Amino acid sequence: MTVTDLPDVPDIARMRRETGRRLRASMARDGADALVLLGNSNVSYATGVSWPLGDSGLSHVDRPVAVILADDPVPHLFMPYREGAGPGPELPDGYLHDPVYLEYDEGVELFARELAGLVPPGAVIAVDEITGAMRRGSRRLFPHGPADASRIVPAAKAVKTPDEVACMRRALRITEEAMADVERALAPGVRQVDLSGRFVRRAFQLGATANLLDPIWQVMPPSRAEGVWTSHGDLALPLLTTERELVRGDVLWIDVSISWGGYCSDFGRTWLVGQDPSPRQRAQYRRWTEVVDAVRDVTRAGATGADLTKAAVEAHGDGTRPWVRHFYLGHGLGVDAAEMPFVGTDLGDQFDQSVVLEPGNILVLEPVIWEDGTGGYRAEEVMLITDDGYLPLTDYPYTPYGD
Amino acid sequence: MATNVEPHGPALRHGRRARALAQMAAHDLDVLVLGRTANVRYVTGATTLWLAGTSSFGPACVLVRSTGSIHMLSTWDEGIPEDIPRENLFGLTWNPMNTIEVLRRIEGSAEGRRVGTDTLSPTFARLLPAAFPAAELVDGEVAMRAARRIKTAAELDVLRQAVAVAETSLAKAVAELRPGVTGKELSGVLLEAAAAGGVTTPAVQDAVCVTSTEHRWRRAGGDGRAAPGDLVAFTAGVVAHGYIAEVGRTHAVGGAVPRALAARCDRVWDRLLAACRPGAPASDLLAGYAGAGEPLPPMPVARGLGLGWDPPVVTGALPRTATAERLEPGMVLALTGYVWEAGTGAALRRDSVLVTRDGPELLTSAPVG
Repeated sequence: MTVTDLPDVPDIARMRRETGRRLRASMARDGADALVLLGNSNVSYATGVSWPLGDSGLSHVDRPVAVILADDPVPHLFMPYREGAGPGPELPDGYLHDPVYLEYDEGVELFARELAGLVPPGAVIAVDEITGAMRRGSRRLFPHGPADASRIVPAAKAVKTPDEVACMRRALRITEEAMADVERALAPGVRQVDLSGRFVRRAFQLGATANLLDPIWQVMPPSRAEGVWTSHGDLALPLLTTERELVRGDVLWIDVSISWGGYCSDFGRTWLVGQDPSPRQRAQYRRWTEVVDAVRDVTRAGATGADLTKAAVEAHGDGTRPWVRHFYLGHGLGVDAAEMPFVGTDLGDQFDQSVVLEPGNILVLEPVIWEDGTGGYRAEEVMLITDDGYLPLTDYPYTPYGD
Repeated sequence: MATNVEPHGPALRHGRRARALAQMAAHDLDVLVLGRTANVRYVTGATTLWLAGTSSFGPACVLVRSTGSIHMLSTWDEGIPEDIPRENLFGLTWNPMNTIEVLRRIEGSAEGRRVGTDTLSPTFARLLPAAFPAAELVDGEVAMRAARRIKTAAELDVLRQAVAVAETSLAKAVAELRPGVTGKELSGVLLEAAAAGGVTTPAVQDAVCVTSTEHRWRRAGGDGRAAPGDLVAFTAGVVAHGYIAEVGRTHAVGGAVPRALAARCDRVWDRLLAACRPGAPASDLLAGYAGAGEPLPPMPVARGLGLGWDPPVVTGALPRTATAERLEPGMVLALTGYVWEAGTGAALRRDSVLVTRDGPELLTSAPVG
């Protein structure tokens, strides 16, 4: 099966077998015998468990923890229970454990005992986070010191299996259907929070697992100078949602993200409240499509990040980079809303040259066009990288700027 | 919520910073490097973007004890209080070495002997010594936890506002309970109602579920649709101005929760509430279940509320921690009563409670099903 043979319905068991193989291969490359994962998205990737994520302020207390062994295809999962909730994945006996609380010394002590029973003596154990209590209990947890898992998981997950792409496509369809509903409600007098409420309700109705981001409906300023102060002088983005009522002529830059089965969607468009775009505003959109088309022309497996940024800058026409300075031209998408590969960051051109696209990468292009007095144009396009090009995964019109 | 992105007011900010600085002194910390959103909000009072779930550690706020200065990660100044000057903001970067360079230049970094972080990644464990060459890197979360556990008067005001939004949204979702509706649809109703109340940021998104008649802890299998007689658990958790309020109730589809089960839940709940006395060990909350003749539920029986979950987190998995932890006036707890009956389902009741000098004060008032 190639990455473009996408199943309509993901086979979750097959997906986990394949991602598990990728993860263990990545462990082998880094010389890790075991992984201890605490980060929500890392646990999702490594075990297949997904749940409606909570606020970050409670997520580090009430969180699942995964232990992955180099020679065992089945992950160990230490799973907290929420209100009457059972764990998602079907795991054989002995692999689903009671929750552990690694914020507390007592919790670390208990976990150290469990870990010692799972991991052979002398094993290299890599970890993605070290809480204060884990630092104090480090000798018990990691008799040979903790190794760094920060490259292992990103390297494994950058290339998606067809089932993973199918999960993401499901998340994107839910997002787009919910956004179509929100777009119909867009009118002068509607508050930003009402758009958020409508979006979240519809997304849940359609089966979303979680909302990942407080939805952004940023009203763009008349000029860069009149916008919010920034340290680099470029536009601020994203600015937060309030009870502000929208008025005719507001240009909104929109950004929302949900998950389905642990996989994220990403959605960006520019909307205009209560009127049609002026010729100058339409020209902003046309320039945006020119940039996106130019980037797509060079997008394929084997192309470097620098090939893409060069195409974008050339199409932009004035020698400047058509994206906001604190972000990027494009980013990956998966169990995280922004993950490898990153293209056009402040890591610089040399880094972009070292990023070589592979079949199965996901790239979300988000160029920005800005001319004072127009509100600019920004939208996001999700694509799957293939051997000879790309497959568009976003399926949403550019109304009211274009079709 | 207003029509502008406002930082926390001076009363909230100053009260919390004083507590954080006092705990830095008590824990002998010269510098705190914070990455967790709740801690960053606690110290800065800035209103920042809500993202679901954990993020990997990266320095987002630096508090220096000797000068009281705050530096924070933000590319713009909207939502940033005026007492954090623009020159103390550092922009988003993808290169951790840029962050290290920012930290290195902060006045007080070079001399800091003990630098606390609220958590750590292996990457920053390696890099941070370059920013703090004279320092021992230690756990700073214990100091933040000690600061956060007792609420200031200004914090309690905000928490009460959060409770009001949680209760309104819970009531809206309960009103839509009928045969055939799914837990997800009701969760959507609840989250939309919170947004209409000005709060677009949930604490928990797992808001409504049909409880199982077959398994003590699991939700019902099948398509998640509520059928007549099902017991449905509603939990509203909202993050208003960064503060979490929680309320949970159980309602039966087309009737009332069976009297015997409701009475068992009440017996647990009465004991939990009675255990919220100043000076009492948190383990009294665990004992409340045994006293009512009920097994401990798998979720924490109580957890502190504030900017996120604060101490204590009282669970059967951490008995020694619960015995050592004393309840104090100014703590706000979410108490969870949970009982189950085979063939009937579960009854869940959760309330936000303030521990006062005179005993517990119930902050929530939603009707019980």
